Amino acid sequence: MRAIRWLTCTLLLVFVVPLFAEPGHIIRPSDLMDEPYRDAASLVELKAGDSVEIIKRKGGWLKVEAAGQTGWVRMSKIRKGKAAAKPTSGSEAKGVLDLASGRSGTGNVVAATGVRGLSEAELKEAKFSASEMDKLESFTVSGQQAARFAQAQKLAAKELEFIPAAER
Amino acid sequence: MRSRLLLALFLVMGTASAQAFDFGGLIKEVTKQPESASADSQQQSKQPSLMGLLGGTPVEEEIAIGREIAGRLLGASPLVKDKKLQQYINNVGTWVAGQSGRNDLKWHFGVIESDDINAFAAPGGYILVTKGLYKRLRNEAELAGVLAHEIGHVIKQHHLKILKQGQLIDIGGSLLKQKVGGGGKGQAIGKMIGSGAEILARGLDKNAEYEADRIGVVLAARAGYDAYALPSVLQEIGHLSADDNSVSLLFKTHPHPEKRLLELGDAMDAHADRFEEGKIVAERFYRLQKDKKAQ
Repeated sequence: MRAIRWLTCTLLLVFVVPLFAEPGHIIRPSDLMDEPYRDAASLVELKAGDSVEIIKRKGGWLKVEAAGQTGWVRMSKIRKGKAAAKPTSGSEAKGVLDLASGRSGTGNVVAATGVRGLSEAELKEAKFSASEMDKLESFTVSGQQAARFAQAQKLAAKELEFIPAAER
Repeated sequence: MRSRLLLALFLVMGTASAQAFDFGGLIKEVTKQPESASADSQQQSKQPSLMGLLGGTPVEEEIAIGREIAGRLLGASPLVKDKKLQQYINNVGTWVAGQSGRNDLKWHFGVIESDDINAFAAPGGYILVTKGLYKRLRNEAELAGVLAHEIGHVIKQHHLKILKQGQLIDIGGSLLKQKVGGGGKGQAIGKMIGSGAEILARGLDKNAEYEADRIGVVLAARAGYDAYALPSVLQEIGHLSADDNSVSLLFKTHPHPEKRLLELGDAMDAHADRFEEGKIVAERFYRLQKDKKAQ
């Protein structure tokens, strides 16, 4: 029994904990808020490179532990994983970016290294498959069917405008 | 997220005449559309005929092109043999696509047998997600976000526009002459396959990807889903090493997820009030079991 209990504890530690908290880091200065709202009170100001433990997400907010406190930070200010290095002021986002992509100083070129995945080779050999296309088209559902599917989970359509690119 | 399938009008030249498309049977959607979506739709219908060669409307051409491209991808990576999975992704995708304003299209969604992490959009509403990507998703909102990004490429006709540019247009022109001169369609397609297959592995302009991300989060939100599920997927994928074979094509053809997150995060934060309440829908999410080959 004791062995089983030990095993259970170990399994909990190894497999369950990471589901609830995982390391992350701040990429741009950001307030740790006491609630997931823009006008909530700020608990402390976090700096780029600060480590956090991500607990959960609610919409665009992540609940985190940071600087000994628990609060909420905009998802856009956090990245998962530990900070690779301390960024320098003024270019924190770019610094993190270069590290994340394993490159530095390469500008806006989309990475073209390491292209050896199976897919590319497969695509070059690709021939139209009539039988697979028939199958694909056989699974098509009507708008009415999809609407019923949505209603089953109380998904309701909303009117929303598209959003413009961020100003730079 | 991804999408690179464009390719070929040329295909169409060869196949459209040979294949009997039931364009008249295209369903008229009944789902209620936001006004802005209707405006998008009208804008689309004003687009001039892409080639004017098929004797069809621009929409018919768009579908014919996409069907050929998607069929080729299926030739390389067949559908996962799991009927429930395929029905599920069609339900989610069709619901999201119903918010796009392109109700003149019949939308098709599928999960294909590939461990690569990627998703593809072909003109006319053909969208395919790899099993490798699907397995990384954690809830229905994430699937909706991924599909919505691809739907964004379709409604903005990113691939069709590329076909009008550069070298491709030259190839198209020579194929046209060939057709007029009586050249066989098989020959034309054969030539196309020779140089054209690699086009599937090409990328769109990075701004087209950023645009599809912004459209994707809005479409997901319009459909009632948590709009932040798409950036969550990008966070997870961004975590993967660029040396990982499963993302090599994705990373080659898209800006790094980190750049996409920066662009999308700022764009969303500026309009955060639009994305407040959305559903995750975790319970219903159709999960692939490990090593499940068929059902």
